[in-house]
Amino acid sequence: MSAVVDFPVKPETRPYLEAVAGSPGEPEWLMQHRRRALARFAELGFPSRHGEAWRYLDLRPLEQAPLRPLAATEVEAARAGGDPASAWPAAGLRLTLLDGRFAPELSRLGEMPATVWFGSMRDAIVRRPDLVGEALEALAADRDQPFAALNAGVFGDGFTLAVPEGVVVEPPIEILHLASGRSTASFHTRSLVTLGAASRVRLVEIYTGEGRYWRNDVVAVRLARGAAIDRVALVEEADAALHLAVFDATLGPDARLSSTALLLAGGTLRHDAVVRCQGEGARCGLYGAYLAAGRQQANFVTTLDHCAPRGETREVFKGVAADRAHGAFQGRITVRPNAQKVDAHMLSRNLLLGAHAAVDTKPELEIFADDVKCSHGATVGDLDATALFYLLSRGIRRADARRMLIDAFLREPVDRVEPASLRDHLLARLSARLAVLEET
Amino acid sequence: MTVSIDTRDTVRALSGAVYKYGFVTEIEADEAPPGLSEATVRFISAKKDEPEWLLEWWLTAFRAWQKMTQPDWAKLKLAPIDYQAASYYSAPKLNPGPKSLDEVDPELLRTYEKLGIPLKEREALAGVAVDAVFDSISVATTFKQQLADLGIIFCSFGEAVREHPDLVRKYLGTVVPQTDNLFAALNSAVFSDGSFAYVPPGVRCPMELSTYFRINAAKTGQFERTLLIADRGSYVSYLEGCTAPQRDENQLHAAVVELVALEDAQIKYSTVQNWYPGDAEGRGGIYNFVTKRGACRGARAKISWTQVETGSAITLKYPSCILEGDHSIGEFYSVAITNNLQQADTGTKMIHIGKDTRSTIVSKGISAGRGQNTYRGLVRVQPRAAGARNHTQCDSLLIGDKCGAHTVPYIEIRNPTARVEHEATTSKISDDQLFYCRQRGLTPEDAVSLIVNGFCKDVLRELPMEFAVEAQKLLAVSLEGSVG
Amino acid sequence: MEFPSLMLEIRNLHARLGDGREILKGIDLAVTAGEVHAIMGPNGSGKSTLAAVLAGREGYEVTAGEVTYLGRDLLALAADERAREGLFLDFQYPVEIPGVNNMYFLRAALNAQRRHRGEPELDAGQFLRAVRAKLKELEIGEDLLQRAVNVGFSGGEKKRNEIFQMAMLEPRLAILDETDSGLDIDALRVVATGVNRQRRSDRAIILITHYQRLLNYVEPDRVHVLLAGRIVESGDKSLALELERGGYAAFGSVG
Repeated sequence: MSAVVDFPVKPETRPYLEAVAGSPGEPEWLMQHRRRALARFAELGFPSRHGEAWRYLDLRPLEQAPLRPLAATEVEAARAGGDPASAWPAAGLRLTLLDGRFAPELSRLGEMPATVWFGSMRDAIVRRPDLVGEALEALAADRDQPFAALNAGVFGDGFTLAVPEGVVVEPPIEILHLASGRSTASFHTRSLVTLGAASRVRLVEIYTGEGRYWRNDVVAVRLARGAAIDRVALVEEADAALHLAVFDATLGPDARLSSTALLLAGGTLRHDAVVRCQGEGARCGLYGAYLAAGRQQANFVTTLDHCAPRGETREVFKGVAADRAHGAFQGRITVRPNAQKVDAHMLSRNLLLGAHAAVDTKPELEIFADDVKCSHGATVGDLDATALFYLLSRGIRRADARRMLIDAFLREPVDRVEPASLRDHLLARLSARLAVLEET
Repeated sequence: MTVSIDTRDTVRALSGAVYKYGFVTEIEADEAPPGLSEATVRFISAKKDEPEWLLEWWLTAFRAWQKMTQPDWAKLKLAPIDYQAASYYSAPKLNPGPKSLDEVDPELLRTYEKLGIPLKEREALAGVAVDAVFDSISVATTFKQQLADLGIIFCSFGEAVREHPDLVRKYLGTVVPQTDNLFAALNSAVFSDGSFAYVPPGVRCPMELSTYFRINAAKTGQFERTLLIADRGSYVSYLEGCTAPQRDENQLHAAVVELVALEDAQIKYSTVQNWYPGDAEGRGGIYNFVTKRGACRGARAKISWTQVETGSAITLKYPSCILEGDHSIGEFYSVAITNNLQQADTGTKMIHIGKDTRSTIVSKGISAGRGQNTYRGLVRVQPRAAGARNHTQCDSLLIGDKCGAHTVPYIEIRNPTARVEHEATTSKISDDQLFYCRQRGLTPEDAVSLIVNGFCKDVLRELPMEFAVEAQKLLAVSLEGSVG
Repeated sequence: MEFPSLMLEIRNLHARLGDGREILKGIDLAVTAGEVHAIMGPNGSGKSTLAAVLAGREGYEVTAGEVTYLGRDLLALAADERAREGLFLDFQYPVEIPGVNNMYFLRAALNAQRRHRGEPELDAGQFLRAVRAKLKELEIGEDLLQRAVNVGFSGGEKKRNEIFQMAMLEPRLAILDETDSGLDIDALRVVATGVNRQRRSDRAIILITHYQRLLNYVEPDRVHVLLAGRIVESGDKSLALELERGGYAAFGSVG
């Protein structure tokens, strides 16, 4: 990797440039791609809060104490004990990435139609380069998002799911991202989902762990004509953890994406959704809620690009910041010239509960076509005093009343999740987290 | 389709000819040689015979400016500006400081008459006192004596420096510091004149005060400074209008306006901005890079900005309110139109510092032709600002499929008792509304003008009456050629 | 003034929507000054399309046929030119125009038409007097005037406002597109009285309606049945009663 030092190198990127990326015997195309991406990362450097894209996240702790990528040899797969509380008990299919690497002994991959490819990214690189090659190289985020570029350079593993035309995978597929707590390091995972025309899947991604680590996750999703994905992300990382995730989706004609993300725990969390509605009539729903307390930082960032006519977008994001926490939503919907008849709505609602907490929201519209219906709304405030009083007047204790109202406020984005057992699990995690916060 | 909302052909038909104020006044002028250096700053200071303290103030700003870079966050296509190509001082040759209108060069009076501001016909401007700024200096101020009887000071900035140095030194740069941003620093280094007003405690200014800005000379910029102080319990309404000749090169207008409202004082500041917008191909036009900011320094103070932005090739301005006093109020009402190749990135900042401060933002953006129109607004509630309230309504209207309308709100809240609401919509001008109007006999142009005026109503009604009529006409003219 | 007695003549009119669906498939109709014609038909028969095409609404393409209005080629005129030539469309769904005062709107429209006819424009005072007289005649409250055009109006208020505009603009040819839809009996009576008051020997009125109900109040000279884009039957007012009894099925299959 010495080639990279020929490029302009930002000092904070140095600890990562000598990282052991990939593994010996990787194909040359991938090595080349990794080198290009690392060079890009070196050039971009860490994002500054003075720039627009990272305005609301403080990354200085990471700059001061780098978390180097974990080498393949350091991963210990064996793990005792049962499932973590965040995992979905009802999951049928499960692929576990332990400290960023596929852990077969913690996974259940059976019961898939024969035409569906589902497995680890490393496995796919060796056995199905046709499936992952092009897609790995063509990610837009790798060019302008520094940590996506770093991810492309040093990712260790991930998962690959390829569903051919017309196939519907009924049972939800759970991806469990676990941090064992054994290594103070960064885990870079990169995954790929390709859905053929009119195919459909449900994906549940759970992120959890122990210790101090940096998880840098990139999931790319490609939907062909009429394909559909329902995706849920539950983020309950360790208190000292840094979690940066990019969910990058490209939608073909009449494709449908529904994504619901819950940021419940973790020191610093940023969840990026980058969606391109490339085909006519593509529909996209992005929903999310964060609950930030203590000194947590939680950011939702959505970038929606309508490149084709008749697209539809619904975004609903709820946020609660208590104590000294800092929550932020940054959303942008772009409607390109000629993407006529787009109907897009974005809503960001926030509760600010601590005297030292902070909430930022920046819902942005960028419209270059005229025959569109676009709108956004944003609110920041305290709990509704009338509702609170109503509950108190019925004899409910103040703390319980507040918790009920916060719970009710946050659950809206979760309400549309299917199946019911998954929705119940998410709501249970939400309530559990609220109960924990109440105690502290 | 007769009312095609398509502007391809008609954009061409709309030439600069519709800009009524594009003429040039032939007048002998004193000009600084092109270029900007410490020597230029000293030259202007010497020309104006300014005191030493002000020269030092300018030089401090100039040194800071040299180290600053052009902002890149706005959604604007803007080539780097060659600051050395322009001249930073141009003034009509006249007896220094005319004492009365009779001493003003008749050619200048004719210019203002053509602009609809007959300085000599007081009847025509009943109830409006005017400070007329021509290129770099103020050429006339009307109604001075009547105002002085009430203790109101209304004069050119240069005169204020000479006659009221204590007031100027006390407030200058306290709202917009010299180093605030690149263009404010530039202004702070070379501003040669502008308007100054002071309303004493408890006085309600009986007439609208107004400044009329005119850029005449070629290859110059205009860098005027306005400082307006409303002392405790006073009230003043201020109007500002601007025009410039039609030229093929871009000219820079980098003004700074500072407002200070003390306890219980109210300032209402209205702008109808009609700088030359450039021609249909985007040649020429004014770069309107203005820093306007008001501070509510006392309890219950109120500052209200109303702007109708129809001119300029590029507009970059965010009239803002710093709500320091408890219970103080900030308002921002804006209509911004971009047609042809005009670009606007405009909005406001409402900074809530005091308790129970309130702010209202109503922004109406209209894009036509190939215009790009961005609302950018910050609502910031500081930790101390308990009970702060903001409501923002931000609507964009698109006329034609080659233009753009963008909304970039920043909502940054640091106090849990604040309540902030923001709503924004973007849509095209409705075919149903157009057809309904036309079915009642209105031409497509009249129909668009009517609908746009309705769309802007919440802002227009904030304007003083005489300005509102002018603004309505201006909206129609600005949209000419956008419907074919 | 002299008026050509034949006001409107439609010959073999074919029109289709932007998506290519043909809605009007050969309409023939002649309307003489002083007459009231009712065009009746079920949903989807092309009634509203006919009104829209006559008023010059965009989104329709005339593929064949011609329309002569007061001796001129109507289809060659833009929508606002038709209006200034005295053609008035009473909208089935009157459009809301936020921020535009109802009175201001009406005065702008009236003066545009007066200018076109070479008549002097009305100043605010003259206009207000004319408005008050009409309001009284039509039993409409003055509060309607100070609101924005149709914004926040009830269904009945919108329809009354349309009739009021018609009374002020004094058109030569008025096309009332399902003006009776969604009206309760009192509103219907007010609207019908308004229409009756405006019957004149130099004015023609075309009522487009689904139901016979309105015709109890406004008695038509001619009744036409529109089915699947064609007029399949014409007759006097008894035809409407026949329809009421037998329904549209008696005139052939729909669609």
